[in-house]
Amino acid sequence: MSVFELRSVYAGYGPLAVLRGLDLAVGDGDFISIIGPNGAGKSTLIRVISGEMAPERGEALFDGRPVGEYRRRDMARRFSIVHQAIEGSAAFTVREFIAMGRFPHQGALAVESDTDRERVEWAAETAGVGHLARRQINELSGGELQLVRIAHALAQNSRVLVLDEPVTHLDVRHAVMVMDLLWKLHREGATVLTVLHDVNMASDYSDRIVGIKEGSVFFIGHPGDVLSYESVEALFGTSCIVMKNPTTGRPFVYPVPGYVK
Amino acid sequence: MLRRKMKARYKSLILALIGIVLVLVSLSTGGTFISPRSLVDALAGGGDPVYYTILVKLRLPRILLALVIGASLAVSGTVFQAVLKNPLADPYIIGVSGGAALGATVGIVCNAAPFMVSAAAFLGSIGAITGVYLLTGRMRLGSTSLILSGIALGFIFSAAVLLIYALSRSDQIHRAMLWLMGDLSGARYDLLGGMGAASLLLVCAVLYYHRHLDIISLGDRFSKNLGVSGMDVKVLFWAASLLAAVSVSLAGVVGFVGLIVPHLMRNIFGPGHLRLVPAAAVGGALFLLVSDAIGRSIAPPYEVPVGIITGFLGGAFFLVHMMRREGRP
Repeated sequence: MSVFELRSVYAGYGPLAVLRGLDLAVGDGDFISIIGPNGAGKSTLIRVISGEMAPERGEALFDGRPVGEYRRRDMARRFSIVHQAIEGSAAFTVREFIAMGRFPHQGALAVESDTDRERVEWAAETAGVGHLARRQINELSGGELQLVRIAHALAQNSRVLVLDEPVTHLDVRHAVMVMDLLWKLHREGATVLTVLHDVNMASDYSDRIVGIKEGSVFFIGHPGDVLSYESVEALFGTSCIVMKNPTTGRPFVYPVPGYVK
Repeated sequence: MLRRKMKARYKSLILALIGIVLVLVSLSTGGTFISPRSLVDALAGGGDPVYYTILVKLRLPRILLALVIGASLAVSGTVFQAVLKNPLADPYIIGVSGGAALGATVGIVCNAAPFMVSAAAFLGSIGAITGVYLLTGRMRLGSTSLILSGIALGFIFSAAVLLIYALSRSDQIHRAMLWLMGDLSGARYDLLGGMGAASLLLVCAVLYYHRHLDIISLGDRFSKNLGVSGMDVKVLFWAASLLAAVSVSLAGVVGFVGLIVPHLMRNIFGPGHLRLVPAAAVGGALFLLVSDAIGRSIAPPYEVPVGIITGFLGGAFFLVHMMRREGRP
């Protein structure tokens, strides 16, 4: 059974539907990247999956049940989401912030249990941010913060992870650290669904790439099968050359300067 | 920052000690000085009966009123700042003060008894809260809709208050304006007991939600994805609003406590609400106690309404706080 399943979903803001008949199935243990031009509906897709936005038509299922039928707390126990940004700039410590991931698993008055503590420590170590535990989240660099946010998500649920542009504002080193971490989790059995702007990151790491254009799936498949200069040009509307990344053997996309269609 | 240098335990202890000292000082000072010795005697039931009367009938109610109101306002402000993710949010942001002012003004113009003025102010503030609550409809509290409907209602209320002024006698206007400034001189045991208990309950309710508040302060989507429900946010909204309503109906519109105290306490105790809420309660209580003491003694024989003192002190604190923030790398 699929972890997430979208069946001809229409969703959006008011009369302008952003998603127009989108179908997608994410299986247990998949590593799926979603790429596509700005405004194609990638973030809306995340909103529908997370239950923040109800589909106007079609169905959004998690573990075979409509997303809207879950209580928020139950959803929070079953998968975690890393959004593009957190709004507040509160001076919580990294340890406190990661521990908030345990919130849906705790009773209202519960203090931190041994399990909670273990999960938090495991999450911090796995994401490689154990040494930052006492720092304040508003004093971290963008790269450190992103790893901390993934640690927070791992403390919440490390089986199913949904990420919205996790590496967009990071330097190369931190981008690779984040993607390597996701890859490691995937190897250990986690389901990873992530929106990416960097086509090459998507190509190097994913089992399947989903290209979204104008609210529906434009192509879907293994990077080696779906990434060609024709498909990438058609998806983004810009000329490019596709070659092979010598280290991974996956397609590597070079945009051609000056040839936006 | 101060936060890192000292353990929270010691900071709490210091705050508590300052609190006890301030309460004792407030008890012994005033028109008549009462020595610590006589203070203990009088409170124990012995000693000079005049002292007993001064302490128990005059000073204690006023001190308790200052504590209850200060604590309520500061906790209310703490909640609004977290829920609205807006550091400038205060207990009056959703129009509680406007509603209360209209209620109280009507009461004063009708020459109602002090108790009825308080009741009218309370009704007015409940009306404002309900209005904002209904206007924002689906309670998307993170959005600006709440603040905007609060501001809009505030305009309407103050226009209504001014309309009543325009049609009233000047002595009534003067009384109404004094009320608007925030004044503790009407302290009475009969209201204090019930309202104090209500405040305590509401503060406990807020404290129960301390982890929700931590999460809510980091964003709406963040808190939704961690399982914080709309109902949780509604409970917090009502608890904070009712705290504001209780204090405003007891003592008028005392400004700045609910804005500045949560800020100061957050700097000292950090952003976690398990510590921040009690610290804000104690800090707010003491801030108002000191403000009232200043108001009573600054220009004898007149008593300056406490709202004026909190305005001066709060504004000054706020400026210092801002400049220190700017100075930080």
